[in-house]
Amino acid sequence: MTMDPLEEQLKHALRREQPRAGFAGRVRARVAVREETARRAGWSSLPQLRWVVAILLCVGVVAGVLYGHGKVEHARGEAAKQQVYVALRLAGTKMQLAESKVRNF
Amino acid sequence: MMASTSVAESAASGISFDRLVETHQAMVFSLAYHFLHDRAAAEEVAQDVFLQLYSHLEEMVSPVHVVFWLRKVTANRSIDEARRRQRRAEVGIEAAGDPASPPEADGWMNLRLRRLVASLPERQRMVIILRYQEDLEPVEIARLLDVSVNTVKSQLQRALTLLREKAGVEKRA
Repeated sequence: MTMDPLEEQLKHALRREQPRAGFAGRVRARVAVREETARRAGWSSLPQLRWVVAILLCVGVVAGVLYGHGKVEHARGEAAKQQVYVALRLAGTKMQLAESKVRNF
Repeated sequence: MMASTSVAESAASGISFDRLVETHQAMVFSLAYHFLHDRAAAEEVAQDVFLQLYSHLEEMVSPVHVVFWLRKVTANRSIDEARRRQRRAEVGIEAAGDPASPPEADGWMNLRLRRLVASLPERQRMVIILRYQEDLEPVEIARLLDVSVNTVKSQLQRALTLLREKAGVEKRA
């Protein structure tokens, strides 16, 4: 295929040119920045790790709620025990009074 | 699968990637530069293309594949960049050539032709650049741009006619 003068001129005008000196170095620097960013983001961006963190958080919340609930129950039990002791003590005192009255009668 | 192995090996070592950059930087930069007619924008596009190559290095099966991939991605990125600049009304065709290298004897003629090429519609411009910078046949250009061979041939003819008309108008003026 023969080329006309315009095509010959185009071939000459559009010949390849080199970019500014140090182009490969600038590309290398951008690759390094990208790799560093990817390395830093690597762990936190793992989907499995996200699931593990979410599950651990859920377990923590449930354990916390259960623990809190147990503490409240324990406190209630303690209060009830104290009331029983007081009632028994009162009943004992009354019984002693009654017993002394019966003896003196 | 010798070629395949050599490219796969290059994926493993940064030195070989450097060599790929040095081998193909003029091709990638010039495709973007002749299309955008702006050195800074062309450098940006060329860097982006090589960054993308770095991410896809393991997919490269042969040196021929690397060249095909680089041409295709550069063409698409350049067209995207031109559209983005058009939207931002930033299209600034360089008034002068590269200040670092003043035009030689036929430099003004080259500059004039480059300006005319830069004024072509984007598809015709890319076809002309691939044809005359890369010396590609219409069938190869069609494969790169995902269009039919007939489309490439008609765009090539239209672009050459337009360039002749514009060159004639400039000459008369």
